Amino acid sequence: MPKASVSSVFYKKLHHMKTVIGIVGIFFLLLFSSNAQDLKLDEIISKYYKASEMEKLQNVNTVIMTGLRVQQDIMPLKIIRKRPNLFLMEFDVADLTAYQAFDGEVAWSTAPWTGNAAPQHLPESRTRDLMYQADFDGLLYNWKEKGHHLELERIDTVETELAFKIKLIRADSAIQYYLIGTKDFLLKKQVSYRTFRGEEITIENYFRDYRYVDGIPFAFVIETQYPGRSVSMEFDEIKLNEPVEDEFFGMPSN
Amino acid sequence: MKLYLYLTTLCCLLFPSGIFSQEVLEFRGADRRGMYQETGLLQSWPEGGPELLWEFAEAGSGYSSPLITDERVYVTGEIDTITYLFALDKSGKVIYKTPVGKEWTINYPGSRSTPTLVEDLIYLTTGMGTVACLEAKDGKVRWSLNMQTDFHAPGITFGYAEGPLVEGNTVFCTPGNADTNVVALDRFTGEIQWISKGLGEHTAYCSPLLIRLPERNILVTFTAHALLGIDTKDGKLLWSNVQDGEGDVHVNTPWFEDGFIYYITGDGNGSVKLKLSEDGTAITEVWRNKACDNTMGGFIVVNNNIYTASYEKRKWYVQDATTGVNVDSVKFDKGITIFADNMLYLYNERGMLGLFKPNGPTMELVSSFKITRGSKAHYAHPVICNGIMYVRHGNSLLAYDVRKPK
Repeated sequence: MPKASVSSVFYKKLHHMKTVIGIVGIFFLLLFSSNAQDLKLDEIISKYYKASEMEKLQNVNTVIMTGLRVQQDIMPLKIIRKRPNLFLMEFDVADLTAYQAFDGEVAWSTAPWTGNAAPQHLPESRTRDLMYQADFDGLLYNWKEKGHHLELERIDTVETELAFKIKLIRADSAIQYYLIGTKDFLLKKQVSYRTFRGEEITIENYFRDYRYVDGIPFAFVIETQYPGRSVSMEFDEIKLNEPVEDEFFGMPSN
Repeated sequence: MKLYLYLTTLCCLLFPSGIFSQEVLEFRGADRRGMYQETGLLQSWPEGGPELLWEFAEAGSGYSSPLITDERVYVTGEIDTITYLFALDKSGKVIYKTPVGKEWTINYPGSRSTPTLVEDLIYLTTGMGTVACLEAKDGKVRWSLNMQTDFHAPGITFGYAEGPLVEGNTVFCTPGNADTNVVALDRFTGEIQWISKGLGEHTAYCSPLLIRLPERNILVTFTAHALLGIDTKDGKLLWSNVQDGEGDVHVNTPWFEDGFIYYITGDGNGSVKLKLSEDGTAITEVWRNKACDNTMGGFIVVNNNIYTASYEKRKWYVQDATTGVNVDSVKFDKGITIFADNMLYLYNERGMLGLFKPNGPTMELVSSFKITRGSKAHYAHPVICNGIMYVRHGNSLLAYDVRKPK
């Protein structure tokens, strides 16, 4: 048989095989998504708590995450969290170290690349965002008690995975979306909105590379996509319950 | 006596100084190629990397590389906005520390320029534009000037980073002013020999290349949007090659081999091969490849293959030097390329140092380890000399033993 004929038969078989695999795949996807669609919001949230090991997390008082901030440059990054809502991010831009923090009441930041390295209070809207971002357990945990409202929207896709899309209306009326994997019930994506130079922009956070630290899953890669650019936080190490004083998060005096 | 002279001449012809002396006296060594004439190096590394012999952890902030002589190691660093030149012994102990001038601290704070050592004098540039000549013996400043104040150089975005080029009695610097664009100075006194207007563009952070031809020597460097070829005798601009990309940062020293100039720059420019005429007065573009950019990691040409990081794609490419086509790629993010004992050393901005085997148009990862000591960004070009690999990471200079065990 001529070589061309052999390859044409081979490719026909391969094409046929691909079609069959595709049909079977779609069948299972539909089957699974129909099962997933049966779940109620409370059940999804309950499974999310379990997958996220929220019970274990209650015994954690501090989290220290160190790694790299990857944009055009690759620069060191450190995030320190403490219960109930203390947050400090130390990051480098142009090899100059900057901070963004919330000490439970005051949100502040530095921007040394502007020529002024002095700490500045963040404006009210950013303070509110950072306050909610600093929530140690995340906004979904005990959402009713925190005054938020949840609605289950639909099943969506995050990259190649199916995910429950949940609308969260924050206590201050700001809207966020949380996309929780239908298989492992871990957070895959979060969408929020911010006003930037008079225009509302969409901020999408993707949570990837979950690894367990002391039995609790953490996303070791968080990619944030803004219009026209993206920034990744890639962590090398996550430490739990390291001692950190509350004063550490406070705005320096100068 | 005649036999001695004959043998000495033969040795000089067969072994150019960079090979014979095993010293690293300027940015990326002999001809600024990043190609170190070493033998007997490890062809793979143990897990965790080669043995760390010593660390000098008080170098201050900086991205400059060390110089290595038979007796000493020289490195610059910024402490409290001042550039210092450190002279260390071969075990990393400080012999002296000399302040040179104000350093750049606006962004990427720290010393940038790798010094140049000629005989007993060291030449260096600070980020704020000081050009200085120091006695290597004790660090005493013999002369200094400032490109911004003395040559009215315009402000630049990232600070002066040029490793001064020396030819004979002349040291060159690139203030980047419209009138005083490239300047030749008497290397013993700092007096002006000639001033070239170039194309009147600001400096582009490049450590220039010296091309030696029978008819003339040419200084090849970048200003904001062009590669310049300048006659070192009188400062005459012989030719230029204009960049059409947006970027004005062209850190990488060009490469000259067999009558061709290769260069790679970032931000929309890419890699280029030029044919230089025999008398050095004209260039012809052979190819241009915009699919491979490289802002500041240097590149290596071996056996007609170009090994280079691509900053936009965050991977390393092998390019065919004849056609400019990218023939292979390896995912290792982006960073610096050097070469020694038939191996490529890739130091990426994540702090990973990879030992790669160049296999014709491909490259294979053999070993890697992470540089965990030091501070800030991983931008300094490593140096290999007499079996020791010197890696500078911010305030730390690290010396690794990369010799094969005897």
